[in-house]
Amino acid sequence: MARKVLLIEDNTESFILVNRVLSARGYEVLHAPDGERGIQLAVEAGPDLILIDIGLPDIDGNTVVALLRQIGELEGVPLVAITAWPPDIAQDICDRYGFDGLITKPISVRDFPQQIASFLGGGPEPAG
Amino acid sequence: MELIPATEFTLQELADAYNETRIDYIIPMPMTVERLQSYIEVYDVDLGSSCAAADRGQILGIGMLGLRARRAWVTRLGVLPSGRRQGVGRAIMGFLLDAACRHGAPVTWLEVIQGNTPAHELFNSLGFVETRRLIVARRPPAFKEIAPGEEAERPRVRHVRTLDHEATMALLASRQDKPNWLNQTESLRNASDVSALVIETEDGGRGWVTYKTSLLRLTRIVADVTEGDPAAVAAALLQTLHEFYSTQDAIAENIPADDPKWPGFLQAGYFEAFRRIEMVKDMAAWEPYGTDAL
Repeated sequence: MARKVLLIEDNTESFILVNRVLSARGYEVLHAPDGERGIQLAVEAGPDLILIDIGLPDIDGNTVVALLRQIGELEGVPLVAITAWPPDIAQDICDRYGFDGLITKPISVRDFPQQIASFLGGGPEPAG
Repeated sequence: MELIPATEFTLQELADAYNETRIDYIIPMPMTVERLQSYIEVYDVDLGSSCAAADRGQILGIGMLGLRARRAWVTRLGVLPSGRRQGVGRAIMGFLLDAACRHGAPVTWLEVIQGNTPAHELFNSLGFVETRRLIVARRPPAFKEIAPGEEAERPRVRHVRTLDHEATMALLASRQDKPNWLNQTESLRNASDVSALVIETEDGGRGWVTYKTSLLRLTRIVADVTEGDPAAVAAALLQTLHEFYSTQDAIAENIPADDPKWPGFLQAGYFEAFRRIEMVKDMAAWEPYGTDAL
């Protein structure tokens, strides 16, 4: 069964790119354009990994993570920031808010699948 | 290029243009119509004194001006990538400063995010001077209290009471410091539903902190210490606040970097997310551009 990656991201172009790269590797990519719908979809769909843009239009990604951490069903699901913020600022925020990792934008199409695989336990990527 | 008052655009057009200006910004902050509407109301943005620069109907950049009694504040200035290095930002600033001049403001204020060098250089060249650095601070709800044994470092709270919005406004008006535009009394009044928590500590400290609650967040956090050690009383204030609202994320904007209460914020679990540079321009030296100069 395909592993599910939820992307909470308001930028449609960014979603299209992530979807294209991960779908080709056999992942099922879910998308929510803002924090509120992202939290709802996370609870409903039970993703294996959640990618969260820090700068969302309704509530920012930090607040989303703070809330996701309080939802028992999502315990153990890696929460990874995906952001264009300066890496030093973003890393500090990620550490403080309890993100499991950070991927900076623009994503590297070559490295991105391996980054995702590593957050999912370090195993090999699913077959495309 | 022409400069068109922002009143000629819908909020959707302004929000879309703003997001385009921030597409590669140092700290991306997406705008929605709802957020822009609230921003305009809370910070007294005057859309007739704000503008968009456009070329053949295509918006190249926008800038907004907040106006209060004898005060003006430039905000949300941004230029789309396609309009950069063509004098668009300077032209928009000319429009805004002309409007500030007509308003009779003796000075005009603004903030620029630390590290946004092009904007900082533009403001310097227009005669703005730096007044202070401002900290934007966050506090995750999962912050753990300080370890046992360290508790003696902060004073014990003897008495706590909460104030409603109107009583909070009276407290804010009694401040001795000079708050940044975001934390001026008008901003917090406009934000509505801002409350305050007042404490007295066993060692005689007194202070208060304002806040606005939502399901997920505490915002509009402004602290003042009227008696006692600023850092210690601020820490006690904020820790008391977060005991009441333990599940909410918190954001405190534009705390002066040299504020003696800042160590108290740190002790209560806040950290610095980023800094803004506050700048001011003496309008007596401003010679209006008018539209001929464009």
